[in-house]
Amino acid sequence: MFPELNSILSSSPENFTEGEFILLSDRQADASFLIHHYLTFYLRARCRVCFLGLVQSFSHYSVVSQRLGVNLTQAKEKGQLVFLEALKASPGVLLGDESSDKTAALDYLRSPCPELRGLYEFVWNSLSRAGGEDAAESWGPPVLIIDDLSVLLSLGVSAGAILDFTHYCQATICSQLQGSMIALVRCDDEEYDEDEESSNYLLKALSHQCSLSLRVEGLSTGYCRDIHGQVEIWWRGRGMKNQRKIFQYKVHDKGASFFAPGTSRAVL
Amino acid sequence: HLFSLLLTLLKTADLNCVYSPSDTSSYSGRDLLKYCINCALKREEDVHVLGFEVPEQELRSELDSNNKHLFHFHNAYSDPLGWRKQSSFTVEQFSAENITRLVRETKHAKASVLVIDSLSWIERHHNPVAICQQLHKLKKGGAIRTICCLLHMDLHQQGIVESICHLANTVITVTAVNNALYAEAKTTHRKKSGKVMQEEEFFTVMENLSLSIEKRPSQSGHAQVHSDAKVDPASNLTFNLRLSEVEREAKEKVALPFVFSQEKKSALLKKGQGSGRIIYEPDANDDFDEEDPDDDLDI
Repeated sequence: MFPELNSILSSSPENFTEGEFILLSDRQADASFLIHHYLTFYLRARCRVCFLGLVQSFSHYSVVSQRLGVNLTQAKEKGQLVFLEALKASPGVLLGDESSDKTAALDYLRSPCPELRGLYEFVWNSLSRAGGEDAAESWGPPVLIIDDLSVLLSLGVSAGAILDFTHYCQATICSQLQGSMIALVRCDDEEYDEDEESSNYLLKALSHQCSLSLRVEGLSTGYCRDIHGQVEIWWRGRGMKNQRKIFQYKVHDKGASFFAPGTSRAVL
Repeated sequence: HLFSLLLTLLKTADLNCVYSPSDTSSYSGRDLLKYCINCALKREEDVHVLGFEVPEQELRSELDSNNKHLFHFHNAYSDPLGWRKQSSFTVEQFSAENITRLVRETKHAKASVLVIDSLSWIERHHNPVAICQQLHKLKKGGAIRTICCLLHMDLHQQGIVESICHLANTVITVTAVNNALYAEAKTTHRKKSGKVMQEEEFFTVMENLSLSIEKRPSQSGHAQVHSDAKVDPASNLTFNLRLSEVEREAKEKVALPFVFSQEKKSALLKKGQGSGRIIYEPDANDDFDEEDPDDDLDI
């Protein structure tokens, strides 16, 4: 997790808002550093985490988390982390290998099944048990992290089906279990038309539902070695609680630093 | 002031109106929806909510506590598609018939108010034409006196937004102003006579669901009444492209290299000391004209 981001968001593993739906998005940039932040943050906070890894392997996140001081393998063994390695399980499902226990979760790969009901049930089963079989370990509120939703669009799932899935996740994990949900949507600049099956549409729809939104973009002035981009943080609320702030960031080997626009150490 | 007029109408009786707060993600129309619900409760009317988008406690909070028993929340939030086999109201059940039956089940005989949160959610699962038909049936049915629906304009194609708004007697479109510190409401109201009234006003929703309406937004430190049509390209940059007064003056003073100014002209026409002269000896083939070929030029 990134201490600077924690102070910007006024949260820490000991003290964070429950029942949040955090929407991460990027356009011409890579917001996955925020996924690593939240994964390590909630594991540190001793929450039970269900991670839907749809675009990278487990070892990828494991290596990065190691650098941020969290051991994913250990978390998995303790039962704190449930990790869906979709890439690894996909060939089995596509080739009709019935022995895989992940077949129901990855049902969406088999057209013409348009629903993500199987995936939702996987999430529900992972997070609904309070503390698991080992009663000695009582974990904090459940957390769902999805990396990422846009790839589902590419795999033929309709935007409506994705929104149904996120609706159910929010209704059960955030509202009922008072846990949190973090989802990443990646957008392309080319999809600026009225297309209802685009990431842009998904982003708009999810913006209505989220409580906190972090939008990552490249700098409008182009590539810069010392400033990797900017992130707009939007706390959604009524009146004074509705706040938008923009920060620039730089990703390092062991973290990321955030600063007000124009105050990068390279510039000052 | 149409908006305020409308809100007064909401406080008194009004027959068969479909109000439709339309919003975008930058400002939620749900506060206005809650305000409408509160008005109805204060008038001691039954309010039936088809709640798809937010849980009951979020909608119930801040409502008038005196008549909370008149507030009926039909839970379509927890299980709208039947995935958990514990649904109260599913999206499949959205029809004039089902809704009328639900509403008639309450003991009061008075015609009720129906609130739909939101139509956008239903539109993902039902044909827009079918939705309009059901709303029309409800309007004519008699069990429901007022229908108030929330629609997220930015999630639908314009044609769909227009069809639904066409059904409504009143459409209130809300957009954020000054980072959602307050909102602008564009109200279009179609009277029974057929006359259409339109109004734009600014409002904020306070903690206890009371509204503060102004014709113009209050002049705070960085308030803007209307956003400027021209976009300033030098804004929002991480380096400075603007000029100070001193810099601007100096810039004006710089003589551009290819502009033919008075100074340049006199410098060229003046014969400098020891400047080169051109000596030309015409040979036999030359048609040497002593006249100055540039004579007709007015330099």
